[in-house]
Amino acid sequence: MIPFLRLACCFLLLGNAPLRAAGSAALEQANQRFATGDYAGAATDYDKLLTTEGQRASVLYNLGNSYQRLDQYGPAILAYERARLLTPRDPDLLANLTLARKAAAAFEDTRRSPRLDALLNHFSRNEWSWLVAGAALFLGALAILGGALGLPRRGWRPATMAAAILAGLALVSGASSLYLRRDETNRGIVLSAVAAVRLSPFDKAEVLGNPGAGRCVYLGASNGTFRYVEVPGTNLRGWMADTEVSAIITAGS
Amino acid sequence: MAGIFFTSGLANHAAAAAVDATLDRASVPAGNGALLTLNITGSKVGQIDLPEVENLIIQGRDQSRQIQMNNGQTSVSLTCSYAVGSNTPGVYQIPPIRVSVDGQNLATKPLTLKVLDAAAVQPPAAAGAPPPAEEAPDTSGKRFGFLTVELLIKDRNYLYVGEIAPVGIRAWLPEESRAQLRSVIQPEGKAFTLHNVSERPQQGTEIKDGKRYTVVTWYGGISATKAGKYPASLSLDATVAVRDTSAPKARRRNGGPFDDPFFDSVMDRFNTPMIQKDVTLKSEDEEIEVRPLPTAGRPDGFTGAVGDFKFETWEIPPSWKTGEPQQISASLGGSGNFTLLGCPTLTPPDAWKSYPAKGDLTPRDAAAFSGSKNFKFNAVARKGGKQDVSLSFSFFDPAAGTYKSLTTPPKSITVSGTDLIEPQSNITTAAKKPAPPKDPLVGQHTALSPTVSLVPLVARPAFTRMLGLAALLCVLGSVLAWLRRRRSDPKRLARAAMETATGEALQAAARCAEKSDVAGFFEAARRAIQVRLGVLWNQPAAAITLAEISARIPAASPITSFFREADLTTYGRHTAADMLPQWQTLLTEALASLTPSTR
Repeated sequence: MIPFLRLACCFLLLGNAPLRAAGSAALEQANQRFATGDYAGAATDYDKLLTTEGQRASVLYNLGNSYQRLDQYGPAILAYERARLLTPRDPDLLANLTLARKAAAAFEDTRRSPRLDALLNHFSRNEWSWLVAGAALFLGALAILGGALGLPRRGWRPATMAAAILAGLALVSGASSLYLRRDETNRGIVLSAVAAVRLSPFDKAEVLGNPGAGRCVYLGASNGTFRYVEVPGTNLRGWMADTEVSAIITAGS
Repeated sequence: MAGIFFTSGLANHAAAAAVDATLDRASVPAGNGALLTLNITGSKVGQIDLPEVENLIIQGRDQSRQIQMNNGQTSVSLTCSYAVGSNTPGVYQIPPIRVSVDGQNLATKPLTLKVLDAAAVQPPAAAGAPPPAEEAPDTSGKRFGFLTVELLIKDRNYLYVGEIAPVGIRAWLPEESRAQLRSVIQPEGKAFTLHNVSERPQQGTEIKDGKRYTVVTWYGGISATKAGKYPASLSLDATVAVRDTSAPKARRRNGGPFDDPFFDSVMDRFNTPMIQKDVTLKSEDEEIEVRPLPTAGRPDGFTGAVGDFKFETWEIPPSWKTGEPQQISASLGGSGNFTLLGCPTLTPPDAWKSYPAKGDLTPRDAAAFSGSKNFKFNAVARKGGKQDVSLSFSFFDPAAGTYKSLTTPPKSITVSGTDLIEPQSNITTAAKKPAPPKDPLVGQHTALSPTVSLVPLVARPAFTRMLGLAALLCVLGSVLAWLRRRRSDPKRLARAAMETATGEALQAAARCAEKSDVAGFFEAARRAIQVRLGVLWNQPAAAITLAEISARIPAASPITSFFREADLTTYGRHTAADMLPQWQTLLTEALASLTPSTR
């Protein structure tokens, strides 16, 4: 069994190597374009890389930089926010995201205390999910072992109990974080400075306001080519054209 | 009489019980009347005790009641109007009118009314007021009132971007109307922002276009962020009740002491119905010009402050040590946009490193237009020795239309320690060239990170499956633990051993019965019963004898009978093998009777 697994791992690594090399080459080429000032070309290359190879934090970050150089703060913030889902503690990413938000005057509206917010955002929702799932599985495995063999006596018993308590704490804290951040699934970013929130899902409907490029909004139902949006921190809510707003997490991403 | 009562929290507060009476004139011709107004404030208004004066007629006309709720406290304002007159000339003293309010007996001040000889005087006119005229229906759309906005800047009818200009906002409400505010004043467009509108408006009466209004005035600041010409449209939601002058007039009286044109107008005023409507009072779209701040001559340290400011005080410790931070405080006073007033900077700038300041504004007026802002900040001296230090800052003066930079008189300080060497002070020939501005954007990532889905695990079906698996493992673990505990249960183990021993003894008894070995049969059968009783009674099987069985089990029990037969056979040498089937039956009954009740 073990030799078979080793063989499978080797096969996967070797089979993946050409793809990885191609991705690195494409990234290098896009970075060269960026370095020569061809930000639009670089953005196209990064976009292509994301389409062909899937979401990578480094590519999303570089894409955000390209858009920021082009003063397109909406797409830049969108790319940074996507990258933040994967690498929430990357200092470069956080610095450039802050720059983009400042330039676009699109600040995050947080209703929680800054300390709690920093704690919740220290890990991505994916990481919190893995913590919860891991802790739950650990407790399950512990239950199986304890059930089958009985809790070991003396020396190991306190250690096992401490591990179970820690897993329980991780489970509770992770579940709480996921609950507090539950509305992030439907977040979107306004792409254009002239993007308008309309009263009804029609092109000629009354404009209720312009949230501004890079503004984070909550997405609701779809109607034709329009999405219902709510701008947090304001009373602005209505319909926005699909081309003017993009969900941070899209289906199949 | 201005009958306007504001019930919003801005304009009024719950009042204590009070009674007040006024006459609208001091004298009237005989046969005419004056208007007596009785204002009562309180939560419970009782009987009004009107005095009786010989030859003086007091006739009730109108009554209006306002109920206000403030912080859960109910307050009632009752206004009663009376026509007072006499056909006999003379000076009449109206004694105090007594009213019970909130359980207190209150009284008005006594009033005096002089009734003149009708032939000797001209028809009266209302004191200080234009003669009441028939009002034509108002078709201007301002029947329920309107707002006006006035820039309170001397010698200017424009303002600059970022400037907070003082404005007076006036609500013009028709006389004899009642208004209740339903909102605060708010700008209709996005061009202007209102700041610090006064909470307690001023109230007065003014005539505009020949019409008398009650004018309520607020003061505040207005600012704009973009240059251009914009209408200063403000709005205020209110419920306004005005008299319906278009309603048909009541029938005139014929005869009697009050058959007089004055009384007719009084009657008309009181008999005219009120129309109440929820309206939005709006200002006329008067445009205000907003000018951009000039780019020419803009100082380097300009932070956007627009107004007129000056240094009031500043303090700096006299002794410093290089590299050690100390606190500096400064107070800037004046009027203008304090929000954008930044902290003054230390000069010479290369000798200091300053940290972000904390500024507290102390307003000097209700609109926080003028005041003083106190800054406190930490700084580190970079250079040692004696130094002259001053503070400087710049602002835009909208009155002069120019930027101004102010510097405090220098103060001498002593800095001990050596000069701090900054990394950039390691001057080389190349470094002397002006460095390009630092790019704030952090550079590209060159390493290819792994491909990961943006959808977090929590939003994927795998998460539910994992939690389900964990729950299943917990359930399985619990089941396994139960099974394990059950398997090692000593009672269960003892019972199993008993069953085994009983079975073996019974098999031995059966074998002995087949061989007609009576003694062997009884020995084996007795052992089987002893084993079973030993488990039930929790004592060694060998210790159970007929005596103990007789003491604990009734004599008619098959167990007792079987033991008795066994003892007879064993000790009496009674070996009749033909009795074996009966003893086997007795043994079966004895074993069957070994239920928990035999304990």
